[in-house]
Amino acid sequence: MTEENILLEVEHLQTGYGDLKVVRDVSLTVRSGQITVLLGRNGAGKTTTLRAITGLNRTYGGEVRYLGKKLGETVAHRRVAQGMSYVQEGKRVFHELTIEQNLLLGGFSTKSKKRALLEAVQEIYEFFPILGDKRSLPASSMSGGQQQMLAIGQALMAKPKLLILDEPSQGLAPAIMKEVMERVHSLKATGLGILLVEQAVQESLEISDEVSVLDMGRTSLAGPASSMTLEQLQEAYFGTSESVPAKQMAE
Amino acid sequence: MLALWLKIRALPTWALPLLLGIVLLLLPSLGMNYGMTRQVILTLLLALIVSGLNLNLGYAGELAMGHIAMYAAGAYTAGLIGKAGITEIWVQLLVGALAALVVGLVSGVPGLRLGGWSLAMTSFFLILLIPDVLSIFKESTGGRNGLTGIATPTLFGEPVTENQYYVLVVVIAILWFAFMRNVVVSRHGTAFQVLKQSPVLASSLGISVFRMKLSAYALGAIPAGLAGVLFANLDMFISPEAFTFTVAMTVLAASIFGGSASVYGALVGAGVLQFGLNQATNFQEYGLIITGGFLLFGGVLFSGGIAGVGQKIVRKLDYKAAEQAGRSKGSSAENAVADVEVLQGANLSVQTVSKAFGGNKALSQVSLEAKPGAVTAIIGPNGSGKTTLLNMISGYYETDEGVIALDDLQIQGQPSYKVARSGVSRTFQTPNIPKNLSVIEAVESGRYSTQRASILQAVFRTPKFRRIRREDRSEAQRVLNLVGLGSQLNADADSLPLGNRRLLEVARSLIGSPKVILLDEVASGLDEDELDVLADLILRLREAGLTVVIVEHNFQLVLRLADVIYVLAQGSVMAHGAPAEIEKNPRVMEEYLGIVSDSDGTSLVGA
Amino acid sequence: MTIIWSGMAIGAVYALVAIGYNIVFISQKTFNFAQASLMMLGAFITYVGIVVMQLPWWLVGIMAAIIVGLIAALEERIAIRPVKDMHNLLVTTLGASIILQGVAQLIWGGEPYRVPFFAGDQVISLFGGNVYPVELVLVAVVILLVIGLNQFSKHSLIGIALMGMSEDREAAQLRGVDVRRFAFLAFAFTGVLAGFLGLFVGPKTYAVATLGASLALKGFVVLAIGGFGSLTGTLAGGLIVGLTEALASRYIGADFANLSVFLILVVILMAKPSGLFNRQKERTV
Repeated sequence: MTEENILLEVEHLQTGYGDLKVVRDVSLTVRSGQITVLLGRNGAGKTTTLRAITGLNRTYGGEVRYLGKKLGETVAHRRVAQGMSYVQEGKRVFHELTIEQNLLLGGFSTKSKKRALLEAVQEIYEFFPILGDKRSLPASSMSGGQQQMLAIGQALMAKPKLLILDEPSQGLAPAIMKEVMERVHSLKATGLGILLVEQAVQESLEISDEVSVLDMGRTSLAGPASSMTLEQLQEAYFGTSESVPAKQMAE
Repeated sequence: MLALWLKIRALPTWALPLLLGIVLLLLPSLGMNYGMTRQVILTLLLALIVSGLNLNLGYAGELAMGHIAMYAAGAYTAGLIGKAGITEIWVQLLVGALAALVVGLVSGVPGLRLGGWSLAMTSFFLILLIPDVLSIFKESTGGRNGLTGIATPTLFGEPVTENQYYVLVVVIAILWFAFMRNVVVSRHGTAFQVLKQSPVLASSLGISVFRMKLSAYALGAIPAGLAGVLFANLDMFISPEAFTFTVAMTVLAASIFGGSASVYGALVGAGVLQFGLNQATNFQEYGLIITGGFLLFGGVLFSGGIAGVGQKIVRKLDYKAAEQAGRSKGSSAENAVADVEVLQGANLSVQTVSKAFGGNKALSQVSLEAKPGAVTAIIGPNGSGKTTLLNMISGYYETDEGVIALDDLQIQGQPSYKVARSGVSRTFQTPNIPKNLSVIEAVESGRYSTQRASILQAVFRTPKFRRIRREDRSEAQRVLNLVGLGSQLNADADSLPLGNRRLLEVARSLIGSPKVILLDEVASGLDEDELDVLADLILRLREAGLTVVIVEHNFQLVLRLADVIYVLAQGSVMAHGAPAEIEKNPRVMEEYLGIVSDSDGTSLVGA
Repeated sequence: MTIIWSGMAIGAVYALVAIGYNIVFISQKTFNFAQASLMMLGAFITYVGIVVMQLPWWLVGIMAAIIVGLIAALEERIAIRPVKDMHNLLVTTLGASIILQGVAQLIWGGEPYRVPFFAGDQVISLFGGNVYPVELVLVAVVILLVIGLNQFSKHSLIGIALMGMSEDREAAQLRGVDVRRFAFLAFAFTGVLAGFLGLFVGPKTYAVATLGASLALKGFVVLAIGGFGSLTGTLAGGLIVGLTEALASRYIGADFANLSVFLILVVILMAKPSGLFNRQKERTV
């Protein structure tokens, strides 16, 4: 892993909402062609971390470096134009727009002409055929899994270097979740760096290269996915010494 | 300098305005000429209408310009009954105010259900209709030509002289402003502030948003009606010209400039617009531009108006004086931890409740039981329906099916303010604390619906009102001591640090002697010490017999506090039981960790 | 039939105001009370250009579009952008509207000016009624404008971005849309539109400083009927308000024209606060 592979580096990040500091000390790295998974319980600060990386929330302390440059106060829409594409949790597609409109809007940041975007849309249809079949229907008419694929397709339209996915498996049936995970995995091959936030620990560990676990706004565990043990993970999840569930589970 | 300030502050707040009133009364005998007298009268009439608008805009938080229609109603009522021979001014004032009140109620009932832009536009439209309505009844109103031949008003049968009329106007203005001041400086004023800034919070405190807004609107009709009567008798002539859109804009500009959320700001605003501008040369030409400028820049630059600026200065001086007097935080920090009295909890039972938004099932067949003297915790991943469930219990959403009951009382389908009055109180994920309230006022607002004292009782400061006010104080002090904020009674509630704002919310939810208390992620953002205070408090509330429901992410805290834990996943209860059982439940761990629990603790991947 | 024509034409004017409201509503979820005052200004500039300066009509149209567009841009910067709270927005756009009215009164006084229509003022007989050319053109303009804007919002990238932004500002930002700049441009566009439309509105309503308040309110009624954010709805709303006004005025009495429109407004707001032609959006968690 050479240093020039590094896409995104987050160091000692602090962020939150107003005076509610949710994230106190988070560090992580994403490299091109790899998947970094960010794990942690509910309310640990995962989504807030992503919001700070993408510029939706202000950074109170620490640093976010993207492509070797400090991002500082760069506004969200500029970060998208620099190749940072974020799929928010809860399948946030535009429900009132059609699938094709959603995808076109996904390519907005590339500043391409509509004709060029329509070609790019075709590629997405090849990757997610179901989207092509329903192209002129409103996004609200699709099922949860399809909307998730649309959201990912929309993010890909921006020709990103870094793809950030917030709980793509949330609320999906196991079979569909598996399909989504496979799709995400196959994206690695294109050289894309992926930052994945997940609740589904096992499934996401299987496709990840790097793991970072958050607890109460701090990175409590980080390292290569291949070396993680369940015990380590539970300890990182439920706090340090008095981790009752970890003990229970280990029995 | 500060010593002088302290002396001024030692006077009651109504002393200065009363002094102003007395000076105004004496002005004619000091040789004020006719033109000047007329200006003062017109200023006071404008101030009355502005004051009515302020109750609405500044306190209830709705922009409704119907006051010009109420003003017209008062004026034409007085003109018509004056022509019919009823010239006694007291009778006219009474009838005029009633007529304005009727207009207020009739236009307010539909208008206030809408709120926001719809209400504003509807009420502007009302002004547009004034000349049409007058024209329809032109036989009696004179239509667009105006109503002439109004008889000279009488007082106890004697015709009123010019000087007497001046005194009359000043006295009525003094009376109204005393009335307004007594409403605003009371629990009702605090309730209005709460309502304006957060209707959601208001209803969780048992305040009926609609009724409260309507009463502000209706009360505001009174000064507008009085002003109308006084206006009709000033020139003995009225025409639709006096009730135009432009006049409405002047009223609004005066309100914004003087400060809508203040009692005496109306006088300042009316004074500036009536005196300052009318004296300026070329007012006719530039009048509209200046009025517009007041609205535009008043709205952008100082949202509190002149009064807002004044209030800020007063607060700053108060703070400095307090610092100098050595009454700063540290010295009075003796935090007597109060005892919790015995509380009468109620059994909260949720039976097979379901809720869908559009096609999404948010909750399906959820059943839950929270007992008095126990802490019931609800946990679950994001989007599992925890907050939805809480919102259903407090009546913000209607249930699609199922029953929610407090002991034997079914509360599903009740509006939230009624649920609150039945004894369910709550805190919010993001602390919901109105601006410009002190800590103790913010907490007292939680008693608004449990102990009632009507607005009229506040106006006349009746013994009952005084007793309730004393109880509000002592109860607020008590619950603030419970949460450890007892030493910060007069601090600005909204600018407390996050942890203290959460504790303040807990105090506010306790003051109304609830039967059930719902705490929504009350621990998030608290530091260790605050967490200990909170945990200790929750346990003491449980001892005291309250029904406590917590929604919480902090698993450690839940294990420490809860008697029963319910785990929600994708809208239904996945497991429930004692903490020890939940800990061992493999499915819960799976939901939380997403790990299949038969794993043997070795490497998870690459196998 | 003459009454119907006249009612449809005035309804078209109200609908044009409502379209302006809608564009601002779609892009930033707020109202610009001064929308009608911008149109009033457009009418005056048309008067000055055609009658005083004797310029060709298309040049006048462009001139009015630019001037009023700039004024709208200025209004956005002063009266909208710095203000956060909705109540203050009401007050500040109202203030902007009053200032424009004051300025118009200062320059042109309170009397109405007749604005000639560039295609002539010869009465035409059509379907058994008399109609002025400008009345026919107004109806055509509003229909074409709605069709055009609808196509734009469905097919152009900018239109799609605007609709997306209207639904979810944050998500649009994450697709690279500079939401603040878009909101600003949309606002300025309503000014351009209002200025240009002075060519058609002026001849129907005359140029008069007090035009703003009444147009603003009628435009709002159209919006309330048609539904907030619905362009197609403004056509139906304009038709209903225009016809109601014309018919009430003819058959009940001139004093009842406003009253009837007001009654419709109250009834509709009570029965369907989101508008007759708007499907109720269900909230989601």
